[in-house]
Amino acid sequence: MRTFAARRLVFGSGFVITAAAVLFADSALSVLMYPVAHVSGWGLLGLVVFLALYNVRKKLTVIPLGWSAWWLQFHIYFGLLTAVVFAVHIGFKIPNGTLEVCLATAYAAVFVSGVVGLILSRVIPPRLASRGEEVIFERIPVFVRRIREEVEALVLQCISETDTSAVPNFYLDGLRSYFERPRNYWSHLVHSTRPLHRILTDMEAQHRYLNEKELGLVREIEDRVRIKDDLDYHHAMQKTLKSWMFFHIPLTWCLLVLAVFHVVLVHAFTGGIR
Amino acid sequence: MSSDGSERQRPQRWDKPFSETMTDEIVERLVSTEPFNRVDESRFRSSLSLRDILKNDARLIPCQPGDIVVRKGDWGSSAFFILDGNMRVEIEPPETSLPASTLGRREVRRKSIFEAFSQLWSNHRTPEFRQIAKTASGVGQRSSGDRTQIYLEDVSAVLDKYRTVTIKSGQFFGEIAALGRSPRVATVFSEGDGELLEIRWQGLRDIMRRDDEIRRQIEETFRERALSSFLRTSAMFSHLSDEEMDELVACAQFESYGQYDSAKAGRTGGIEGEPLIAEEGHYPNGVVLIRSGVARISRKHHNGHRTVGYLNPGQAYGFDEISEGGVPLRYSMRAIGFLAAVLVPTAAVEKLVLKKSGSSGDSVPVAPIAPMPARPPQAVEPQDAGVSVNNDLLEFIVERRFIQGTATMVIDLDRCTRCDDCVRACSDAHDNNPRFIRHGPIHGHYMVATACMHCEDPVCMIECPTGAIHRNQMEGQVIINDQTCIGCSSCANNCPYTAIRMVEIRDAQGVIQLDHRNQPIVQATKCDLCVDQIGGPSCQRACPHDALRRVDMRSLSGLGEMVNR
Repeated sequence: MRTFAARRLVFGSGFVITAAAVLFADSALSVLMYPVAHVSGWGLLGLVVFLALYNVRKKLTVIPLGWSAWWLQFHIYFGLLTAVVFAVHIGFKIPNGTLEVCLATAYAAVFVSGVVGLILSRVIPPRLASRGEEVIFERIPVFVRRIREEVEALVLQCISETDTSAVPNFYLDGLRSYFERPRNYWSHLVHSTRPLHRILTDMEAQHRYLNEKELGLVREIEDRVRIKDDLDYHHAMQKTLKSWMFFHIPLTWCLLVLAVFHVVLVHAFTGGIR
Repeated sequence: MSSDGSERQRPQRWDKPFSETMTDEIVERLVSTEPFNRVDESRFRSSLSLRDILKNDARLIPCQPGDIVVRKGDWGSSAFFILDGNMRVEIEPPETSLPASTLGRREVRRKSIFEAFSQLWSNHRTPEFRQIAKTASGVGQRSSGDRTQIYLEDVSAVLDKYRTVTIKSGQFFGEIAALGRSPRVATVFSEGDGELLEIRWQGLRDIMRRDDEIRRQIEETFRERALSSFLRTSAMFSHLSDEEMDELVACAQFESYGQYDSAKAGRTGGIEGEPLIAEEGHYPNGVVLIRSGVARISRKHHNGHRTVGYLNPGQAYGFDEISEGGVPLRYSMRAIGFLAAVLVPTAAVEKLVLKKSGSSGDSVPVAPIAPMPARPPQAVEPQDAGVSVNNDLLEFIVERRFIQGTATMVIDLDRCTRCDDCVRACSDAHDNNPRFIRHGPIHGHYMVATACMHCEDPVCMIECPTGAIHRNQMEGQVIINDQTCIGCSSCANNCPYTAIRMVEIRDAQGVIQLDHRNQPIVQATKCDLCVDQIGGPSCQRACPHDALRRVDMRSLSGLGEMVNR
């Protein structure tokens, strides 16, 4: 499988065939009055445990447990398969017991967060690659501080060389907070350039009050506004890429705990494990 | 004018001589000794006299029994002339030769499953922890002046156990590796007390240019010792009989192009600054076989040149055009950095390989010839089927000299989620110290990260005084032995890709280790391609999104596969 397309085809076909087999088995076992929920329940638990093991694989980097990329492929397609098995397990109906509702909600949250994470991991990287300089997330505050210092130096230079307060005042009123830390998270998340446009428009509106010298310095500040905006963009996108895991993994643990509790209760009220 | 208004001297070649200990008296003694007493000093320019060369490009090395002068596999930039005493050359085959630890190298052993697993709790919390053994087995280390010398502790045992031959005083050795910038082919150590003259390659080159006898002596040595076996590695000449090979060896010419120490990327100023070896449209005067270095293959494109590929050691250029009856060359060939080559003249190729009879020009092939296209396998044009790497990307990797890499870390930024799993995996595999930086030059959406590329021509190894940085003889990774690294920074300074870092080493308590002058002890660190881990490079195995690959750039197929996924 040299290309991603070929890999998708193989895994996709495998998923479709397996999902069809699960649905067929469900119909067949139902006709035979076999306890489908029992089989699908254990199957589902097995799948969830296997999916959770991917996190263990990621931690055990020094042991030859296969390439993480292959694990992720299995994680994705088995994850999708759990939706089919889950639907079979609940009999294609919305559960009604308190524990069952909690369990189903936890499963849905894990599934949705996984799908969202998959989409994010496919959508965000090309966007990051196409905008601004590549920057390591942990280094962004350092770069922000460096830009802020540069801008403040330019403002001080403006004060010392022009003896007017137009630029310093504008900096204090409109720009200082912008340069303080990463900003406009939500706007960047939806790929909006409105905040940048607004700042640049405000700065442009000041041009008529500035002399030649001030104008030169303001243009330099505008360049740094753009650089800061790119940094903010990288910060927002990388933060999103890193933070969705903080939903997905804890939710998975919740799901596992609830699932074990569910299994215990089911067997407790059906006369134990047979 | 400098900022303080004072004039400064333009840097000169010999601002930093090879050794500060060379005096006029020593030089006088040398020029009255064989072979320098036979050199006609009037053939040297006054600004580049023989005495100046010896004073600035050479140094005396006193030898004691067991001193290892060169190690097999090291990259060398100097040759040696034996003034006094005998040297021993180890001639054992690789499987029975001196063990790595005896040469001051790191014994590479893959971890067992349990050892791999135990890294989870046995890795040190302290960064850059090192436990330097007092002595490594079978090898000692001593300092004399500004040199640190590795020596065999028991010479007689080595002589008993391993086959060696003696080189007596008055002979050169190490000149092949020095002039061709290729690995040393044998380990040489001192049998007893003696004295060597070590000459930097630049000095040797200048002496060879002006003294025919020394040049002939060195070229003949190479012809005798290495040329035949080198030519046999080429599919073009592998079928020749011994007599034909002797004829070929006799007419082959040695060529070198470019600056020997121009390893730094971009130093040549792009394609225009690269020495032209053969030009598109000209008639071929022979087949060029590359011994070391990399050549750029390009075609004219409007008013510039378009890179279509590159050639690595062992590959040939010009054969297709000769075999087609001497048609003009289709491509130009330039040296990227330093390149050493052997030119086999057209007449010899026609006579011995194409078996053309006399002047008739009839081609009568009598032996099967493996395909050896003039257009190299790497030469890729956009319209080529199969492996395709667009021209911009090709220009980028050639211009930045990433083509040197046998395991270049390429990251597809369109797939990389910046999760840093690769960095964590690297850290886990190296006692909690990551050995690369996920940052580097970018072209399009491909980044070449700052990680050791395990170069085909590892210039980092050239000046290592103890051989601590070396190539693993089994699998070819360039690795550092912490036990013999003395922290001189030569490797880090020589690496054109800033892939080697010098770090302050610490003890188990996290305290920086100090030397007798209370200065921190530093050592070189770099990616070792997880040579002792099971399963290969951890970074590549840990990437969940198939974004990171260690690509062998010697051929474009690896990169082609990556970009055409």
